[in-house]
Amino acid sequence: MRPRTSHIILVAAAVLLTLLLAGEAVDPVLYAAENISTAAHADPSTIEKRSPGDAASVIPLMDELLGHTGTLALTIKIKDYESAQRDLARYSELTSQFDRLVVTLDLSETDIAEFQKNNRQNQEAMAALLNDSQRLDELQSLEIEVLDGDQRMAVVYEGEALRQKMRETYTAYAKREPETTRIATHYGANATPYQESVEVLAEVVGAAEEWQVEWQDGNGTSAGGSGGVAPRSPLNITVTPREGRYGENLTIGGRYVDGVPGTPLTIYVDSRIAGNTTLDENAAYAYPYRIGRILAGPHLVYATAGAIFSEVATFDVLPAETNISLAIAEVNRTAVACTGNLTTEDGRAVLNAPVLLRLDGETLISTQTDGNGTYARTLILTGGEHTVRAEFNAAGYPLNSSKSGVVTIQVRGEGLSPFPFIAAIAAALGAGWYIRRRGLPPEPPVPEEPDIEPPPEIAETGPSVEIEGLPPRDAATILFRALRERLGIPATKTPRECARLAPDHVAFFERYERIRYAGETPTDEELRAMEQEALERDD
Amino acid sequence: MQRETRVVLLVLLLAGGALYLHTTTTTEEFSRHNIGWNGTSSLPAEEVRDLSRLDPGSTLLLLAPDRPFTPEEVGYLRAFLDGGGRVIIADEEGAANPLLADLGSEIRVRPGNLSSLERDYAHPGLFRGYVVGNDTLFAGVETALLNRPAEVEGGEPLIETSVLTWDDVDGDGRVGEGETFGRSVVCAREGNLIVIGDASLFINAMLPENPKFIENLQPVQIDAVHSRIGSRNPIINTLTWIAERPPAVAAIAALAILPVAWRFGRKRE
Repeated sequence: MRPRTSHIILVAAAVLLTLLLAGEAVDPVLYAAENISTAAHADPSTIEKRSPGDAASVIPLMDELLGHTGTLALTIKIKDYESAQRDLARYSELTSQFDRLVVTLDLSETDIAEFQKNNRQNQEAMAALLNDSQRLDELQSLEIEVLDGDQRMAVVYEGEALRQKMRETYTAYAKREPETTRIATHYGANATPYQESVEVLAEVVGAAEEWQVEWQDGNGTSAGGSGGVAPRSPLNITVTPREGRYGENLTIGGRYVDGVPGTPLTIYVDSRIAGNTTLDENAAYAYPYRIGRILAGPHLVYATAGAIFSEVATFDVLPAETNISLAIAEVNRTAVACTGNLTTEDGRAVLNAPVLLRLDGETLISTQTDGNGTYARTLILTGGEHTVRAEFNAAGYPLNSSKSGVVTIQVRGEGLSPFPFIAAIAAALGAGWYIRRRGLPPEPPVPEEPDIEPPPEIAETGPSVEIEGLPPRDAATILFRALRERLGIPATKTPRECARLAPDHVAFFERYERIRYAGETPTDEELRAMEQEALERDD
Repeated sequence: MQRETRVVLLVLLLAGGALYLHTTTTTEEFSRHNIGWNGTSSLPAEEVRDLSRLDPGSTLLLLAPDRPFTPEEVGYLRAFLDGGGRVIIADEEGAANPLLADLGSEIRVRPGNLSSLERDYAHPGLFRGYVVGNDTLFAGVETALLNRPAEVEGGEPLIETSVLTWDDVDGDGRVGEGETFGRSVVCAREGNLIVIGDASLFINAMLPENPKFIENLQPVQIDAVHSRIGSRNPIINTLTWIAERPPAVAAIAALAILPVAWRFGRKRE
């Protein structure tokens, strides 16, 4: 094949190959196939695998929570308070797990979040009913010992307060049942234990009311009431206004008939101490209660002055919408600062509230608002595009959850490391040094070389040859080698090649060629002439 | 042979191979000529083009059908079903609904964007369905990995999703306002007619994911006329046309052999 033709074919084939492969070669899929999908399907081999663990545990956990309400109600009913406390602790633990799941799986806009809210309220109701039942039992045991009129009335007042509380708590608990059952049934969870718990708690509350009536009847219900009607406590209580939203102030106040000014009072909201106050000179009190982290819905409030319990008052906390903002600013090549505010719809700051930053739709990073409702968190990110969204999940607040818009950020990432470049340069220098040290292969002699042979000095130091007594043909060979060496022609060259390389000695080499290959024998005269030429003698 | 000639032949061979691969394959969805992840080149199935010649008692797969059926063809399918044949329609776009209606079936495909929270993959449309009915197609199969399936209404349910599945209308991958969780049927049966709301089960990338299901499917014939398994590539279609006609194959073979024979003949002279 002619070289020109083969070169053209090679170039054409190479261009064709390059064109065919170029389209594929520039496709990033070739190097990093990731999340490949079309409108019809996704390529499972390029999609990140993950454990379905969290999602798979949602329904079983719902089942377990509902089951615990039944067990807990029964242990309260049979007054096994030790077991009930254990059951309640487990129920609270499961509730916390469920709360976390709802956040992690981003279910805040589903009916599962509604179930979560109801369950959280149920757990608090159960805790209150357990404590109240226990206290009511203690009052029952005091019934035998109480002889003193004042002490007896204190028991009556506290018993009445507890009865009212239990009734209110139960009513709210029962009110949540249809919706909670509907959601549970939709997800195939067994709501029967929960439905049974409503019936069992009705019996518990009913028993408390019966005891209170019997106790009052048995003791003549002297304190201002007729048979079967609870006496009014001398410590009265009111809440104004009767309802409010997050951040608003309510006033819990009243009078203690015959109370001594300066008497300390303790205010309870949902059986938890909300604060302390004292009676003023008019035997009245007023406690400012700011609505904070408390669930939306009805709440119970009462006050105690020593052993005297007030009646139970109620107030409603109304739910409110929230707004959360998110701003992102670059701190350096890998860090960004996320800041924002969490406020209610009427502009009140939500204080010390947990905020989640959802990074790239998956990873959750916690932070918290400060005393001004502002949060700030610095994120260290890898280079590339990231999305961040701020979320407020409102667990335990009388507020609705909110989410900021998704903010997309481009993180520059760590710059190119200089080490690969330094290594490459060092490798190149090393390779150069190595090649230089090994030396380059000898260059083939160029035809002009005989022209630049060093004339006299070499002649002076030229090889000395001894041909005396040798056969004429051997003597000619020695003289040929001597001349070849003097001219610096490699020993591999034939006489003809030597003649080409040293045109000034053509006659010598041609004569030797005939002697060497044609078998001619040189005369003595010819040998002397060859010797003179080989050794460059003039004599 | 000179070294240079050998190099030229090698490069030509490589270029020819690349050119052949380039022109005889495609990236079209579901195509039998697509050797990539979303093709069906690896699905073991015999292609049929004439519905009047179906083997009685065999299984016919209509994969992502995108061409209408004539009344005659519907009649052939009806007769095939009545004769004990099994028809599997895999469709997620609802294009098979007119055929289902013509066959007198109650089953319908409802296109959507089913997504699940209970899944093994990060992609919300890639999740497991649970076998809830009895059919030889799912013998020994408890779950099937689904790939962006559509809901199937009517018939006897064969595969259902988990209850944590929703139709992701806004496509944001999360359950938002107006989107609710619930089980969906993605495969149902009516006699010998099976409708699968997920044609992706048969693409190359999905075959290793549900091996038992693919094994149970065998032997299967695939309707090459109405299914979306062809190609719009003219070279592929020409080659397919030739491959299906023995005289054309013989003619091409002769065209290839004749120059070689002529060359050898000249050399001998």
